[in-house]
Amino acid sequence: MPSINNHNCKYIRKEEIKIVFDGKSYSAFEGDTVASALIRNNIKLIGRSFKYHRPRGIYTCGIEEPNALVQILNEHNEPNTRATIKRAYDGINICSQNRWPSLSFDIGSINNLLSPIFSAGFYYKTFMGPKGFWKKIYEPLIRRTAGLGKPPKNFRSKSIHQNHNIDILIVGGGLSGLMAARKLVDTDNQVLLVEQDSFLGGILKNSNKVKKIDGKNTFEWVKETEELILKSNNIKILKNTLVTTYNFTNHLIALEDKFAGKKININKSELVLHKIRTTHTILANGHIERFISFRNNDLPGVMLASSFEKYIERYGVVPDEKPAIFTNNSSTISLVKSLINLNCKPCAYIDSRKKEDIEDETKEYLIKNDIPFYPESEVEGCEGNKKVEKVFIRNSTNEILSINSSMLCPSGGLNPDIHLFTQSKGLVKWDEKIISFKPDTAFQNTITLGSVSGNYEFKNLCEEINKKLSFLKVKDLNLKIETNIRDDFSIEELWETKTNKISKWAKSFIDLHNDVTTKDLKQAINEGYDRIEHLKRYTTNSMGTDQGKISSINSLGIVSKILNKKISEVGTTTYRPPYAPLSFAAIAGRSTYEYYDPERKTPIHNWHIKNNAVFEDVGQWKRPWYFKKHEKETMYEAVQRESKQTRRSAGILDGSTLGKIEIKGKDALEFMNLMYTNAFTKMKPMTSRYALMLGEDGMIMDDGIICKINDKHFIATTTSSGAPKVLAHMEEFLQTEWPHLQVYINSITEQFTTFNISGPKTREIISKVFTDIDFSNENFPFMTFKTFNYKNTQARIMRASFTGELGYEIYISPQYAIELWELLFKHGKDFDLVPYGTETMHLLRAEKGYVVIGQETDGTVTPIDINFNWMIGKKKKDFIGKRSLARSDTAREDRKQLVGVVPLDKSHFIEEGQHVVECKNLPSKIKTPVEYLGHISSSYHSPNLNHCIAMAMIKSGNKLMGKKLFVSTPKGTKKYSCKNS
Amino acid sequence: MTKLISTHGVDITQKNFQQILIRGDGREQFNQVINKEITLQPPSKNLEVKTNDKFIFAKNSFDQWTLVYLFEQDYKKILKIISNLNSNDKILASDYSYGQVYFEVSGKNKNEFLNKLTQFDFREKKFPNFSMAQTLIARIDCYIYKLNEKYIITCNKSYEDYFKERLMDLINL
Repeated sequence: MPSINNHNCKYIRKEEIKIVFDGKSYSAFEGDTVASALIRNNIKLIGRSFKYHRPRGIYTCGIEEPNALVQILNEHNEPNTRATIKRAYDGINICSQNRWPSLSFDIGSINNLLSPIFSAGFYYKTFMGPKGFWKKIYEPLIRRTAGLGKPPKNFRSKSIHQNHNIDILIVGGGLSGLMAARKLVDTDNQVLLVEQDSFLGGILKNSNKVKKIDGKNTFEWVKETEELILKSNNIKILKNTLVTTYNFTNHLIALEDKFAGKKININKSELVLHKIRTTHTILANGHIERFISFRNNDLPGVMLASSFEKYIERYGVVPDEKPAIFTNNSSTISLVKSLINLNCKPCAYIDSRKKEDIEDETKEYLIKNDIPFYPESEVEGCEGNKKVEKVFIRNSTNEILSINSSMLCPSGGLNPDIHLFTQSKGLVKWDEKIISFKPDTAFQNTITLGSVSGNYEFKNLCEEINKKLSFLKVKDLNLKIETNIRDDFSIEELWETKTNKISKWAKSFIDLHNDVTTKDLKQAINEGYDRIEHLKRYTTNSMGTDQGKISSINSLGIVSKILNKKISEVGTTTYRPPYAPLSFAAIAGRSTYEYYDPERKTPIHNWHIKNNAVFEDVGQWKRPWYFKKHEKETMYEAVQRESKQTRRSAGILDGSTLGKIEIKGKDALEFMNLMYTNAFTKMKPMTSRYALMLGEDGMIMDDGIICKINDKHFIATTTSSGAPKVLAHMEEFLQTEWPHLQVYINSITEQFTTFNISGPKTREIISKVFTDIDFSNENFPFMTFKTFNYKNTQARIMRASFTGELGYEIYISPQYAIELWELLFKHGKDFDLVPYGTETMHLLRAEKGYVVIGQETDGTVTPIDINFNWMIGKKKKDFIGKRSLARSDTAREDRKQLVGVVPLDKSHFIEEGQHVVECKNLPSKIKTPVEYLGHISSSYHSPNLNHCIAMAMIKSGNKLMGKKLFVSTPKGTKKYSCKNS
Repeated sequence: MTKLISTHGVDITQKNFQQILIRGDGREQFNQVINKEITLQPPSKNLEVKTNDKFIFAKNSFDQWTLVYLFEQDYKKILKIISNLNSNDKILASDYSYGQVYFEVSGKNKNEFLNKLTQFDFREKKFPNFSMAQTLIARIDCYIYKLNEKYIITCNKSYEDYFKERLMDLINL
């Protein structure tokens, strides 16, 4: 490990670990990030840039990093990971991205040579023609070259969600956040403190700026504060957790890395997505240093000054002994002091401010330590082969001086990290003193503290916190903060320096992630993109995964100068969540694979599994689709077999999923007459009736069988997937339209398991099971039901059929369901009783001509369209949808109507969903529209007829009875003539 | 009763309870009819829970109550009570005995654990003792009854396997 170490650093454990970068093993320390580990090994070249494949190094020391993105090979091949925040561990295997064949020799860097033609808007202007090139040449080529890392394959991450309901959320465990937390210790407020790092302290651990707090050194003070918080009964700390999103109302999302600095255990959750609902949010998330644009400001070796200092103080590694420092503000002297403390010395201190504007203390310190000082100067550019070797300084007399240096540390000022504040819809304002935007008016219960609020002065911090948190009515804090630097922040505006060397390949970048140059900004404005949102999209400025954290204000500065406007007039682009990239695995949580959607099972489910059922999803229900007799039996064969057997002897279907609703009250009859199209007034008790429910638009909503126990008590069945909707529909009308009706309804779907048994042998089977009941036609006619005692409970049997055969529906408590089901099979064995699934149910009902709501209907079908006029109670005064049925549109004769369809050539099969047309000779290539009559809604091969039978919704279908129609095939070129009947 | 989980400060036991879902107007006659069948006055405040060693009686909404039997009764007895209640035109009582599943959740980390599955606010000030709530847990509709230091959670039986799998899955993650 050749780099110099800061042995005073308390945040790195000196236990050695091994990391692999691009196939080569390196030593690092436990607690290192990938970036600090690479710096420790003097590796400056980390990757290649997005567009021009320029060599790139480590630019920052945090979430704002635009350059150092790497692929983690041993973590599901995770791409685009920020080396500056990814914690290293023993055995981590990393590789660089966007290069081939190697990082040092990358063929893609030819793009840099061609860069003069890849200016802003290149894609929009270039790929306009010739016609056909986009699909065949441009798009495949762009897709192949686009992106940085390679997407992971066979990726299966485990992440979970954790909800929190709290009183106060503190975002950031830095100085301000810790002071706020101290104030809230042992109060009645339930507080959550969230810190993105594995250590608390923020600026106290990242820099040398603060000397002592209340007479204690900063490390001791942070330790004491953390212990105080942990001992309290009201504050919880989450480390390695980044708040990414601030939603309405005070709902924040944070992502915790459970394996920060550790090898992933695939049996545990890697990430926790915290969903935090709070009453108040304290944003103490600090600031981000911005860069300055100059020639070749992207070369490896250019690193932001505060990041350089963070590597020294937080990670105990000195990236370079003699860096050049380039600044426009007072904060960088802290870096100089950190270096001097380690017996290192900057090779140059370049300050754009006039000598008289620079703090005396800074000037004296530079002179005292014999540091070459260049006031009123700026960096013109830097040069080198894949790293900084020379720095060019334009001095106060406009001369260009060259110095040798392997690192250059610019600082363009500090931006309050207002991202979360603006996500919360808070308003920001431009502050001329700090030359940046800072929070102004909060939209939610948001409080900003410390540098995020634009307060860079430590002496004011206590007062600010006491004032802003006074509404909580807790004791005032009184802490004395001693600093190593002058506390009053001063800065001069500087966004870009003047470039002398005119080279087509020298670039001054404004967005390092997306390779956008300052020249691109100027060109875009010249082309008319002078609105900041348009400019952003045209140039892709600040649209990378870093969202321009170190550069977006700089681009506003440059644009404002070109447009000759104030920055506040130019405005900002919209800050959108997330603050930093979130993986889809984290967002999905456990709602993936087997838990993608909740599953509902009937009480007979395990029997179905044992008997080789193949399931289909009906809503959330798992329903047997068909039962395989043997492994090789296809669905077609199984359905044909089940259908034939049911028609020949008997079949049984698990119909437990059907919705069941109990309706009771003195006005139940009136209510049912209003809810359904049918009339129930003359219906005898203990009889049942097939009924239709319409929406207010007159369209069919659901169907079912209504059992009338008496005028005050009904039980209705619904479709499986329609049950919740029907219950809600009934409840809504009871509560809003007809509150005068004294009716109560309960869902009893789960309280009764339902079996539908049908076929010619049904009566014989069922008589053997329920020996006390007379199932004869005389005593148990069609559409009647009986309740009787079975074991310890009550069962209900209804004579009804959805197959056209003799059929009964049995309703039994789930407690006895499997026992009864098996009993039916025991007695049904002699009669060849077969279990059948939903596909056979559909086939059997289609043979009979019964409709399925949701298959023949689609929310645009009236009862008249499917020839269900007979189900409408003509003498009924009113029912839901009645008025709509009288509308001219619903009464039209040329509406789509339900017809049966059979192919003329019986060897042909018609697919569901195919279009029905009148045109006999459908052209092989359809160039002009062909009149569309309708579509095939159901189609099956009938084993009893031995040919295809289908249903279709066709325009004026009733008038076309007996006519020959044509059905297009999926290929659209062939046609089958068919006859509707 | 089946012990499902007892680790990480969370104890979950599946219980065999029975239940009647009651609808009515909550007026005097309603109370009298109920009181005749069980010696417990129906709770009058929305989301209020009354309990003794035999029952949990909760008011779910302005016209809905759940009556949970904490010890398994003869099923015929339950059906008889339902029949008696239904003999009054102003009451609808439905048997929910075997179409629901019940889980007792206790332990010091129960709130944190359940908050992995629901956004529901379990804090005492929002969800006091002897109150109930209807919310989504693991994306399914559940009722929660808070009884001192434990919760009784109930959902439709069709979700039983899914719900248990989600509980077991999360406890180890």
